[in-house]
Amino acid sequence: MFKIFSSLRKEYLLLINDKVGLALMFLMPLLLVFIITIIQDSAYKMVNENQIPLLVVNHDAGEEGEKLVALLTKSGLFKIDSQDAVPEKSLKSELLSRGKLIGLYIPQTFSAGLESNASDVSNILIDDLGLERDSVSTRKVSMPTLSFYNDPVLQENYSYSVMGIIQSYMSVIENSLMIDRMYATMDLGGQSEKLKDKMISNRVKINQIVASNNNSTAIPNSTQHNVPAWTIFAMFFMVVSLGSNIVKERVNGSFLRLKTMPTTFMLVMFSKMAIYVIVAVFQVALTFSMGIWILPELGLPKLTIPSNLFAFGCVILISSMAAVSYALMIGAYARTEQQANGFGAISIIIFGAIGGILVPTFVMPGFMQFVSNFSPLHWCLEGFYILFLKGGSWQELKNVFAFLGIFILICQLGTYFKLRMERII
Amino acid sequence: MTGPVCIEIQNVSKKYKSAQENSLTDVSLNIAMSDIFGLLGPNGAGKTTLISILCGIIPQSSGTINFYHENQPVSGQERKSRIGFVPQEYAFYQELTPRQNLDYFGAMYNLAKIDLETRREHLLEILGLSKFADKKVGSFSGGMKRRVNLAIGIIHEPDILFLDEPTVGVDVQSRNAIIRYLREINSTGTTIIYTSHHMSEAEEFCKHIALIDHGRVIAKGDLTALRNEHEVSNLQSLFIKLTGEEYRD
Repeated sequence: MFKIFSSLRKEYLLLINDKVGLALMFLMPLLLVFIITIIQDSAYKMVNENQIPLLVVNHDAGEEGEKLVALLTKSGLFKIDSQDAVPEKSLKSELLSRGKLIGLYIPQTFSAGLESNASDVSNILIDDLGLERDSVSTRKVSMPTLSFYNDPVLQENYSYSVMGIIQSYMSVIENSLMIDRMYATMDLGGQSEKLKDKMISNRVKINQIVASNNNSTAIPNSTQHNVPAWTIFAMFFMVVSLGSNIVKERVNGSFLRLKTMPTTFMLVMFSKMAIYVIVAVFQVALTFSMGIWILPELGLPKLTIPSNLFAFGCVILISSMAAVSYALMIGAYARTEQQANGFGAISIIIFGAIGGILVPTFVMPGFMQFVSNFSPLHWCLEGFYILFLKGGSWQELKNVFAFLGIFILICQLGTYFKLRMERII
Repeated sequence: MTGPVCIEIQNVSKKYKSAQENSLTDVSLNIAMSDIFGLLGPNGAGKTTLISILCGIIPQSSGTINFYHENQPVSGQERKSRIGFVPQEYAFYQELTPRQNLDYFGAMYNLAKIDLETRREHLLEILGLSKFADKKVGSFSGGMKRRVNLAIGIIHEPDILFLDEPTVGVDVQSRNAIIRYLREINSTGTTIIYTSHHMSEAEEFCKHIALIDHGRVIAKGDLTALRNEHEVSNLQSLFIKLTGEEYRD
């Protein structure tokens, strides 16, 4: 027992003497979570909080343009900035100067065009029914065109979604106009409300059900993404501290000296793993505490802790084991501390980039989404996503455990064979 | 040979996988208990390889090695408990203090906490490290680091102590302190196997020597007898006579 205690104590002392390593493992994630969460918060809010900033320039001479703007406002999906005095040719520059991502231009003939089209439809229907109608010809105005402006940085599917919403409100306006026109032609003016109610308002409803295991309605926000993401990143950054420790011990002969002693090398490895797994748990405690108590004070979303605490603990444990195992392997293969630090740090940044730490994988192109499967950081993050957003289903977590288990095994075997080649084990 | 054998080396050869030639060829030696035995030879002669094999760091390719304690063979963990190893490198933790290093390595030798503390303080005192016991070793001079290196190898009071160039790169004061302490522990029964390039130091310190060159033992035995046999006045002359004056890199 004294031997195990001494071995753990040695690792602890080496750790607390490594000031740079400690700063990288504890200060870096706090700073990253703090900075990146603030930066990304507005982007997540735009997607999640149904407040799409929309610049509207309504030049319509009739009433339908106003109706469209009213419907868009009533929907609650848009934060509308009406700037009717802006000429169409200046709308692009106005959009950019106001920092808006989307703009909608309603032309002067918007109402006239819609009414003209409604009259045509009504006339065709009356003629087909063999009913008499007023033969006075009305002025023909072609169907209007709405202009949709978007900032090039806006994703294409996002733009299409917004256009789809506008299109659905246009259907409401057009159908309403047609019904009014038909009733007026048949001298039934003022009685169209019942039909409009039946045709326009009484549509098939879509019942949205969140497919999580605990019926959680939690949605990804900057905190829910950044806190686990940068914690995982920091966990893997222990390669700088642990990796260089191992290189030092290999190179200075401490490991070989231990081989002459009545002890097992497994004790050394066990102590290193135990201490650094504890470090990882502290990292999680620190950054998650920040997400729960400090970020909300700054007006940022609060981190929601998953309800399945046992699964949460298992994900933390396997993620930290993956990080420790990777650091052990880098430490075993690097020839110098510089190699361990340089390669270790760069490889973690690359793993982080392809694993969805920097930007979520769902915004990556298909090929990169496939590549992300080869990043251990992706699977760690996936584990936290399953816990935070999907209620921590063991069924879904099993893939995370399987991949990370294989990764840990490969790293441990790689470490074992390298140390065996060097006759340390 | 003045006492019972504690290490018996028979026809030991070593060939590294990547090497074309043997590092050691048919080395046979008997080392007596309580002896101070010098393994001497030019660079690349095979001294460190032989010590590494004796300490169990690397295996021999052929031949046998037997360790004895009170005429009984010892092996495995017991053998490891009875030997101490002081490598040429500073094989300890520069980020830790001498006290912390001794605590760790002492525990690895299975010392009980109380024995370890007593032994640790004694060694720090004897080797002139008490004043610096709580300072990080990284800030020490070469001589102080050598003394820490030695203290770690003898923390468990081994029966047999292997020293690979224990005084290289240290000042006269540190060298004297190290040699003086080694003589002291030898007088209490510790067998010392030692390599060095300091011929005058080895001549003064060793009772028996083996001269190794190109992986073979080219001379062995009592130092005075060897000097007389080869008609030379000192160890350095014997060394040059038997190994030549060519550079060894």
